[in-house]
Amino acid sequence: MPMVTRPAFLPGLPNWSRKTFFALALAAICFAFAFPVLWLILTSLRPESGVYYVHRGTEFTLGNFKEVLGQERIVEAFINSAVISTLATVFSLLVTVSSGYMLSRFTGPAARMWFGTIYVFRCVPYISWVLPLYFVVQSWGIYDTYVGLLLPHIAVHICFFSWLMKGFFDGIDPSMEYAAMIDGCSRWGAFIRVAIPSALPAISALAVLCWLFTWNEFLFALILTGNRVPVITVVMAQFVTEMGLHWNLMAATAVMALLPAFLIALFGQKYVIRGLRI
Amino acid sequence: MSASRRPMFGEQQRFVLLLIAPAALLMLLFQVVPIVIGANASFRDWALYNPKKTWIGFDHYAAVISDPAFLYVVLPNTFLFMVLSVAGALVTGLALALLLNRPFRGQKLVQTILLVPLMVAPVVAAIMIRWIFNDQFGIANVVLEAIGLEGQPWLVQRWSAFGIILLTDIWLWTPWFTLLLLAGLQSLPKEPFEAAAIDGTTTWRVFRYLTLPMLRPVIVVCVVIRAIDAFRTFDIVWTLTGGGPGRSTELFSLYAYVLAFLNLDLGRGSAAAIVGGLIILVLGVVMYRLVDRIAKA
Repeated sequence: MPMVTRPAFLPGLPNWSRKTFFALALAAICFAFAFPVLWLILTSLRPESGVYYVHRGTEFTLGNFKEVLGQERIVEAFINSAVISTLATVFSLLVTVSSGYMLSRFTGPAARMWFGTIYVFRCVPYISWVLPLYFVVQSWGIYDTYVGLLLPHIAVHICFFSWLMKGFFDGIDPSMEYAAMIDGCSRWGAFIRVAIPSALPAISALAVLCWLFTWNEFLFALILTGNRVPVITVVMAQFVTEMGLHWNLMAATAVMALLPAFLIALFGQKYVIRGLRI
Repeated sequence: MSASRRPMFGEQQRFVLLLIAPAALLMLLFQVVPIVIGANASFRDWALYNPKKTWIGFDHYAAVISDPAFLYVVLPNTFLFMVLSVAGALVTGLALALLLNRPFRGQKLVQTILLVPLMVAPVVAAIMIRWIFNDQFGIANVVLEAIGLEGQPWLVQRWSAFGIILLTDIWLWTPWFTLLLLAGLQSLPKEPFEAAAIDGTTTWRVFRYLTLPMLRPVIVVCVVIRAIDAFRTFDIVWTLTGGGPGRSTELFSLYAYVLAFLNLDLGRGSAAAIVGGLIILVLGVVMYRLVDRIAKA
């Protein structure tokens, strides 16, 4: 078998120097990407007195985390964010997998209209409907409740995830489903027993993204909740304005807000890359 | 003929409708209804402290469209931000996707590090960046001073603040491009690349004449999605500068939010939101046409 050699990167240079150059460039890129987070972590580990001279001191402490975890409102915000993200993921998937399946498998006027609707609503800036949503949610009596935050979250995921889901199902050959239907499966049976299992990598990718998006979301939470349902992004933003000088506490909260997202993304990255082929 | 009553919808139609029913219902309740109410509010004198709700026609629209802050600061900012943010994240994202697509030692680790910003909430990112560019204690100024330059009050000058917002956004969204483009790269057929390698084609030509054209549909979809999102950016600007100094870094979402919730004028806020919504809708439709044409070409 003939060896297929890749065309040289930076031709004309000796091999070892090319490799070193490559490694150095890679290290620099990684550093640039990770630096803000690293700096945040470093700040979160400093005592208040050292935080303004982070580059000089050598003192480290876990006191900030202890102090932050002692604040009831922050702990509550973490729990709320986790619960809402998880519920939003489950329900968004239920709703968007079927809607994406419809978009992919049917071509009639109904499907075209639905796709048009989804595209148009995907374009509407959040602020244009979150602003009056504030009034809707208030008049329905679900302002500042779990439900009042959860349902709009699911609604906002519909457009984007239906679209992505359509792409995934487009990539899956429907002949297996037809075969199942000829063998006596109903349409629902073919959808649930054949199409969904073969789309599982894509569905896992969506689950990861959906969870991250909900966890990180800010504008909805800012407008649709008041005091009773604090979520972590809003609490952090309030930190900036109200306790602007306690950078060490803020950093500790931010690091904790990063942690679950980091874990989810770390374990989910395989699925995301495999699943996200549009 | 015996009229055996046929059901109103056939089995297939029922299936199709049931598949989209939950999504459609949710969208109706939480998107359509609010938008209708917002449209209604935009024609009324609807201030939160004094909701008279009298019909005043297009007054709010006239006020928004003739507001110099909206015309000469907010709109240019929003468009500039949209173009630069998408271009920046696309170029970096594409470069990184190409990098990750060739195997090398430590590739998994690099990939994980490059995906870090994806996990960071925009609010958290904004807090970090604010701290890094803090004019008294921020590391950016410490480094500048250490090499003999003067520290800058980064976030209280218009263009440096704008630049920092932009950099933060590009940092946040590059992994998003990287992910989608990497997934796209990995699903490209192998044969043309092998043929090119046997012919000894240069890396640049492979990229220019093979990778780029084949990747085009994915690129276009990414760009459209991100452009629409960039137009409505709120959280990082809100946390980083709050639109300041003055109102010089205000983007469209902030403008509408400030009108509605800080000036407590829901009517005018809604009108502003609708003006922006119409702008992006037109842009969205144009971009969609473009996507269609490019994807088919």
